[in-house]
Amino acid sequence: METVFWEYALPCVCAFWACVGFTLMFNIHGLGKLIAGVGGALGWLVYLLGGQTIFAAFLAAAAIGVFAEVMSRVRRCPVTGYVLVALLPLVPGGGVYYAMRHGVAGETDAFLSTLLHTFGMAAALAVGAMLASSAFRAVFPRLRPPKQ
Amino acid sequence: MDYEKLLNMAAELGYQLMYSGAEIYRVEESARRLLHAYGLESPEVFAIPNCLIVSVATPAGQPVTRMRRVPLHGTDIELLERCNGLCRRLCAEVPPLDEAQALVNALPDAIPRYSPRMMLLGYGTAPAFFAPLFGGGLGDLACAFLCGLAVGLCLLYGGKFIGANSFFRTAVCSALAAFLSLALVEAGLGESVDVVTISTLMVLVPGVALTNAMREIMAGDTFSALSRTADAILVASAIALGAAAGQALGGLF
Repeated sequence: METVFWEYALPCVCAFWACVGFTLMFNIHGLGKLIAGVGGALGWLVYLLGGQTIFAAFLAAAAIGVFAEVMSRVRRCPVTGYVLVALLPLVPGGGVYYAMRHGVAGETDAFLSTLLHTFGMAAALAVGAMLASSAFRAVFPRLRPPKQ
Repeated sequence: MDYEKLLNMAAELGYQLMYSGAEIYRVEESARRLLHAYGLESPEVFAIPNCLIVSVATPAGQPVTRMRRVPLHGTDIELLERCNGLCRRLCAEVPPLDEAQALVNALPDAIPRYSPRMMLLGYGTAPAFFAPLFGGGLGDLACAFLCGLAVGLCLLYGGKFIGANSFFRTAVCSALAAFLSLALVEAGLGESVDVVTISTLMVLVPGVALTNAMREIMAGDTFSALSRTADAILVASAIALGAAAGQALGGLF
């Protein structure tokens, strides 16, 4: 029980509040704040359960994509805001930083492998969210709101 | 019907949508549907991230074109949702042009916005809660909050001094974040420079550009997708450059 709390529940709560912090910068009001926060927490949970690999990031982005599509159908709002904010905790800021550190220190091998890992993460996020929302639209075309 | 007025109204709505950070396909589709709802057969709308062109041929065969240059802008989801809602409403109700123009013009002023103080709180909160995610303790959380506030201040009020160039702005903010986290950790407040710096850099990371680039690819707007990807890579290099400069500066003391 203890480990579940420290390993999973606490990080998800942090991801939730971090996303709520981002909603203030993107001018999201009302219920949208809650949805974006829950999306971020969900994405981070999937990422943790998947073992924090590139594939886990892919799964997390897919989960966020589906969640955001469902929420945008429920609220009849553009999906943009929810995906945007919920994906932010997964964006590899650490990768950019460590690549820079290795680059400055002249460790070319470590620099290149960190850089490639960063690109891999970014690509996994993009492809994951893209596939999930395309698949969602293909499977449930009837739920599609009048497209605008 | 006054096609020039119609064109102005559609271009203004498209401009507002672009300005709120909407995807290209949403802007094009909205303007096209709007013009269609007002009875035009084949309106042409073309948008790339900083330019919007709307062109129609009146039933008499007269071509009319309007182009809008979209300046550097952030992301404003509330504006996006309201533009989207208004566009749906206009397409369904088709009110007289003057009324529709008044509705579109009233959009940007009617948007609720957070006060600068709340925005600052956001800039502080987000990095603060990232610190535990990256393995930091309570001290790191406090450090990240302070560094986030500093970056927020720099972004909100420093525009006059560091200009509107996003590459330079990101580099300056990133240098500030790296320098401050080094200083705060040295002062004994935090434990890990890496954790605090990364947490703070997360507010600068080009997540929005990346997500938008992917959505453009999905919609088939390759040109816009490429330009947004380039933007994301540029911002990421600005972060790396700035952080390197900040740490080098911190190392001098």
